[in-house]
Amino acid sequence: MIELHNVSLSYQHDTPALNNVTLNIAKGDFALITGVSGAGKSTLLKLIYAALRPTSGQVMVDGLNITGIPVSQIPRLRRKIGVVFQDFKLLPGRTVLDNVALTLEVLGWGKNDINRKVYHILKQVGLEHKIKSTPLRLSGGEQQRVAMARALVNDPRIILADEPTGNLDEASKEKVLEILKEANIRGSTVVIATHDRRLMGDWCKRLIVLDKGAIVENTDVS
Amino acid sequence: MSHEKKKKRPKLAREGFLGRLHYFIERALLNIRQNVLVNLITVGTISLAFLILSLFLLIYVNLERVTETWSERVQVTVYFDRELTSGEVASFSSKIRAAGGVSGITYVSREEAMRRFAQRLKGQEKLLQDVTPETLPSSLEIRLKRHMREGEAIAGFVARLKSMPGIGEVQYGEEWVKRFSDFMVVVRFAGLLLGGFLVLAVVFIVANTIKLTIYSRKDELELMGLVGATRFFIKVPFLIEGVLQGIVGAGLALLLILGAYSLFLHNADFLLSFSQAAAGLVFLPLSHCAFLLAGGAMLGFLGSLTSLKRFITL
Repeated sequence: MIELHNVSLSYQHDTPALNNVTLNIAKGDFALITGVSGAGKSTLLKLIYAALRPTSGQVMVDGLNITGIPVSQIPRLRRKIGVVFQDFKLLPGRTVLDNVALTLEVLGWGKNDINRKVYHILKQVGLEHKIKSTPLRLSGGEQQRVAMARALVNDPRIILADEPTGNLDEASKEKVLEILKEANIRGSTVVIATHDRRLMGDWCKRLIVLDKGAIVENTDVS
Repeated sequence: MSHEKKKKRPKLAREGFLGRLHYFIERALLNIRQNVLVNLITVGTISLAFLILSLFLLIYVNLERVTETWSERVQVTVYFDRELTSGEVASFSSKIRAAGGVSGITYVSREEAMRRFAQRLKGQEKLLQDVTPETLPSSLEIRLKRHMREGEAIAGFVARLKSMPGIGEVQYGEEWVKRFSDFMVVVRFAGLLLGGFLVLAVVFIVANTIKLTIYSRKDELELMGLVGATRFFIKVPFLIEGVLQGIVGAGLALLLILGAYSLFLHNADFLLSFSQAAAGLVFLPLSHCAFLLAGGAMLGFLGSLTSLKRFITL
């Protein structure tokens, strides 16, 4: 599902953020990418949803080589990928419903279908009662779950989550992981980037450890 | 697997052309509602900029009207040392009309000339003692269309007249026409210069105001791209919003100036009026109002388009 072949990426004159990375995440995998801050975890995720381009090497996503993907093709790629951003990226002036609906509006869904689907996904993440609230009135854990709902609402083939449990209490962490596990069971390939290796559980199928932009461990743990 | 099932996706009510159009308009209106304050500030700024431009136009239009009245004094007179028969008048008239740019021709007979002369010398009738109609020439007074009343146009017309057989003396107040033409050159140049500066200022103000409103929503633009929206999909609601802001801003400026006109300016005949005919100010013609509204829409559109190019990172 996700393949990287000898991928390197440098930000201008800095030392490379990724250095000759090769990995293969199969369809239906639940992969955990860990490493200290600055190890290249977020960079790797950004490569997968084409927010960054590799300096060298090839990136394949869902059978498509996206290394030199034209800008006009990027939206089509991103519609297959649900991304949970580290900073949530929720629109503060819009309701939870509007925030989650954005993913479906882009696809051209009608209002009624959107309302039904958003309610359904919010129920899954336990936030259906907050549908009319704005993100500013939600706790950090709740905001994180709204961000997850937005990423999951169109049943994407791939879910990328960047530090999805950062700054959350234990109960919220559990809830977030539970949601991702369920998405994985429903067929989505899930990739989590986190500095917290303790998240590793029996549900995890692949562990990738990054250090200074290079893979130091890539284990199939299923 | 769920992905195989997904091929039977729900009916996408807003996928076709009309569906998309409906979405874009709805989204633009929703955006305005959700960002009322920013929109109010934008519309207010656009409106102020257009108010200045509209005021300038109002003054310019009225100045043009005054000069139009002045230029009506320009007329060409062809003198004859004998009375013309009605057949001759008709023949000369049709020849003169054929020279182009003529709006009207009046034949002034010797009797009529005498009557006018007497009227002009009212109170000094003694001066008329030895004057008989036979001593005065008959004439054809030729009124010209607006574009023929200045400089070279009128000189060319007179030259054509003089070349016609049977036409001798022609007068048209050469000195006055020259001064009037020079004055019009100055008025037009100043109008063009000032108008040009004003238009530039309005473009600058509107474009930058819109840029600020779009900048304040750059997170939204970024997010749309991240969830798979195409550039087109992101842009259109913002463009509609920009066009609406431009039209409403320009419309508001016109309403304000119409209000000021109705309250104070319509009878301000002390302004710009140098003759009875030009007393009072006229409001902007409908074509100018339409031009301002279209200008507002265009600026809103282009301002949004250029700003969006900068802020869409996709």
